[in-house]
Amino acid sequence: MSLTQLRPAAHHRAEPPKTPSKAKQWLYRFDIKTVPYALIAPFFILFGVFGLFPIIFNGVVALRNWRLDDPTLTGWAGFGNFTKLLSDEDFWNALGNTFGIFILSTVPQLIAALIIANLLNRKLRATTWWRIGVLLPYLTPVVASTLVFAVFFSRDYGLANWFLSLVGFGQDDPLDWRAAKWSSWIAIATMVNWKWIGYNALLYLSAMQTIPKDVYEAAAVDGAGPWRQLWRITVPMIQPVVVFTVILSTIGGLQLFNEPMMFDENPQSASGGSDHQFQTIAQLIYKVGWKDLNLGYAAAMSWALFLIILIVAGVNALLTKRIGGDR
Amino acid sequence: MERLGKRTLRAAAAGVAATLVIAGCSGQALEGGTEDKASGDQVTLKVAFWGDMGLDKLKAAYEKDHPNVKIVLNSGEYNAQHEDLQKKLVAGSGAPDISAVDEGFIVQFRGQADKFVNYLDKGGAEFESKYLPWKWKQSLSSDGKQIGLGTDVGGLAMCYRNDLFKKAGLPTDREAVSKLWSNWDQFIEVGKQYTAKTGKKFVDSGTNMFNPVLAQQPVGFYDEQEQLKMDGGPKVAFDLSMKAIQADISADLASFQPNWDQGFKKDQFAVLACPAWMLGHIQDTAPEQKGKWDIASIPGGGGNWGGSWWTVPSQGKNVDAAVDFVKWLVQPEQQIEVFKTVGNLPSQPALYKDPAVLDYKKEFMSNAPTGQIFAATAENLQPQYLGKKNGPTRVAVENVITRVQQGGLKPEAAWAEAVKEAEKVAKS
Repeated sequence: MSLTQLRPAAHHRAEPPKTPSKAKQWLYRFDIKTVPYALIAPFFILFGVFGLFPIIFNGVVALRNWRLDDPTLTGWAGFGNFTKLLSDEDFWNALGNTFGIFILSTVPQLIAALIIANLLNRKLRATTWWRIGVLLPYLTPVVASTLVFAVFFSRDYGLANWFLSLVGFGQDDPLDWRAAKWSSWIAIATMVNWKWIGYNALLYLSAMQTIPKDVYEAAAVDGAGPWRQLWRITVPMIQPVVVFTVILSTIGGLQLFNEPMMFDENPQSASGGSDHQFQTIAQLIYKVGWKDLNLGYAAAMSWALFLIILIVAGVNALLTKRIGGDR
Repeated sequence: MERLGKRTLRAAAAGVAATLVIAGCSGQALEGGTEDKASGDQVTLKVAFWGDMGLDKLKAAYEKDHPNVKIVLNSGEYNAQHEDLQKKLVAGSGAPDISAVDEGFIVQFRGQADKFVNYLDKGGAEFESKYLPWKWKQSLSSDGKQIGLGTDVGGLAMCYRNDLFKKAGLPTDREAVSKLWSNWDQFIEVGKQYTAKTGKKFVDSGTNMFNPVLAQQPVGFYDEQEQLKMDGGPKVAFDLSMKAIQADISADLASFQPNWDQGFKKDQFAVLACPAWMLGHIQDTAPEQKGKWDIASIPGGGGNWGGSWWTVPSQGKNVDAAVDFVKWLVQPEQQIEVFKTVGNLPSQPALYKDPAVLDYKKEFMSNAPTGQIFAATAENLQPQYLGKKNGPTRVAVENVITRVQQGGLKPEAAWAEAVKEAEKVAKS
C-alpha cells in the first residue's frame, strides 16, 4: 500500500518540463558513453593502420617466400626464414655490432646526461641559455649532423685525425676510422652520444627539480659530498625518469640506422663497412629487403629484432630499478 | 543544454576529421600520379629519372605538338629513384608513368617483367634492328618481354689529367697516351712510373680497376645459366686490381663519396676510367680543372659502364600515351638533341655516323672528340650477360678489395675471401 502511494502518479510522468526530451537524453548518453571513445579513436586508428597492421603483416610475410628478383619463388615458407636466421653469420655479426655500439653509446650517454643535469640544477649564470644550449644537438637533423661527422672522421683531411696528430698519433699513417670494428664503433657512438646527451639531460633536470631541497640540506649536514648526494639521493629519487630514458635509449639504440648508413664509404651498398664492421641489424634488414630483394627473409629479421628489443628493454628496466635503490 | 550540444558537435567533428585523414591517405594512394582519363582526355605523364637527361626542351616540343598531353619531369637521386620505383611496383600503385632505369638496376626489374608494359605488345619490335644488339638484350626478360627502350650507353674510355702527366714527364697527347697502355699490365707500369716520379697515387681506387676490367671480359660474374663463374672474368679483374694495390698506385678512395670528390680537387689521382656520363660529373666536381683533363682509349679494348632505358610500369592509367612519348623520345632527332645538351651517348649505332656525334668536341676535356671515342668503345664491346645477383655480388667483391686497401686483409688471402663472399651472395 505505502509503496504504491510513494510512486508518482501516472500523469506526473507525462509532464514535459521535469524530464529532458528524448533526443537530449540520447545526446547526453552519447556524450558520456561514446564521445570519449571517439576522441581517443584517432590515435588507435592511426596506430592500427601504421603500427599494428605493419607488425602483423610483417609477421605474415616472415612466414612466406617473397623474392622480388624471382617472382616464381612464392608460397608459405613456414619457419624456414627463422631457421635460416640462426645460422646466418651476417645476422649474428650485425647483432654483435648493434649491441657493441649500443653499449658504447647508451652507457656514457646516460651517465654524462646525469652529470650535466646535475650541473644545470645548480645556480648558474644564464641558466636558460645553458639549458637550451644542451638541447641544440637534438634539434639538428640527424642526416645533416651525420654528414658532418662522416667528414670529421674521414681518413684524409679529417678533423678527428688532425686532433690525433696534435697529440702525436698517426702523422704518417692516418687512422682509417671505418676500417676496424673498434674505431668505427667509437665514431658512430660519438654521433649518437652527441645528439642525445642534451635531450636526456633535460629530462633528468626536470625530474631533479621536483626533489625538495631540504633532503640535500639534511644530507650535507650528515657530511655527504656532492658525488654521494648524486648517487644516493638524486638517482634514486628520479628513478622513474631513469627507467624511461633507459627504455627509450634501448629502443633507439637497437634500431640504429641513419648513423651507420651514412658513415659508410659506400652508403648505397648498405653493407656497413667493407667487412660489415659496423653493420647494424636495421641496416642488414634494409640490405636484405631492398638490395638483395629478399622481402620474406627481411621480414623475419624485423620480427627477430622486435622480440630482441622487447626482451632487452625489459631486462634493462629491471636492472635500472635495481640500481636505482630498490634493494 | 547548449554546452552539451557543442561538445557533441566538437566530438563528431574530431571523429570526422580523423576519418578524413585516413580516407585521404588511401584515396591518394589509389589515384597514383596520373589524372583521370575521363576529364576531357587530358593526360598527365609523370617521368622519373635522375640527374639531367636533357628532357627540358623536348618536353616543351612534345607538349606543343600534343596539346592534350602534359609532361611532369621528376628528377631525383639515382639510387632513390630506383628504390622508389621498386617500392611502388610492390605496392601496386603510385609508380611514375615513365621511369628511367639504369644498367645497374635493369637486371632487377627485368626479373619482374610482368609489372612493366611489354613494348613488343605495343609495336616496339621495329626498334630491335636500330639498337646495339647487347643494349636491346639487356632489358629483355628471360621469357622474351621487352621492358625498356634504350636511351644512352656509357661506353668506356680512360680520362687523364694532362697537367699532372706533364709534370711526371709522361706524354700528354691523347694518341701518345693511348699508345702507352695497350694492356692493363702496361697501364700499371705507367702508374708505377708516375708514382715514383711524383710521389702521388695514379688511380682513384682498386675497385675502379676491377670494374672496367670485368666489363671487358666475355663472361662476368654469372654465365647465362646463372651459375657463378668466379674463376673466369672476375679472377682476371681481381688479380689486376690486387696488382695495382700492391704496386702502391691506388689512392684507395671510394667512388662517388665526399673523399673521392675531394680527391679530384687535391690531385690525389691522375687517371679515371670514364664512361660518357662521367664527363658531366668531373665537370661538376672540379669546374676549375677545365682543359686539364683529356681522354685516351682504355687498355684492353671496348667496354661499357652504365646507360639507361625508358620503362613504362603497367600499373599506370595512361600506358598508351606513355608508350607513345617514349617511342618519340628514342627517335634519332631527339637522341641527337639529348647528346648535344647533356652529352649522353645514344644507343643506336646508326647515330654514331651522324655528324652531330662524329664532329662533337668537348671543350672541358681539352676538346676531345667524345662522340667518336665513346661510340667506338660501345660498338666494339663484347656483350656480357649480367646475372640476377650481379649487383649484390659486385658489392661483395668490391668490399673485399676495399678490405685489402684498408689493410685488414693480405692480398694473397684476398682471392679466397672474394670467392667465399661471392658464393654467399649467390646462395642467399
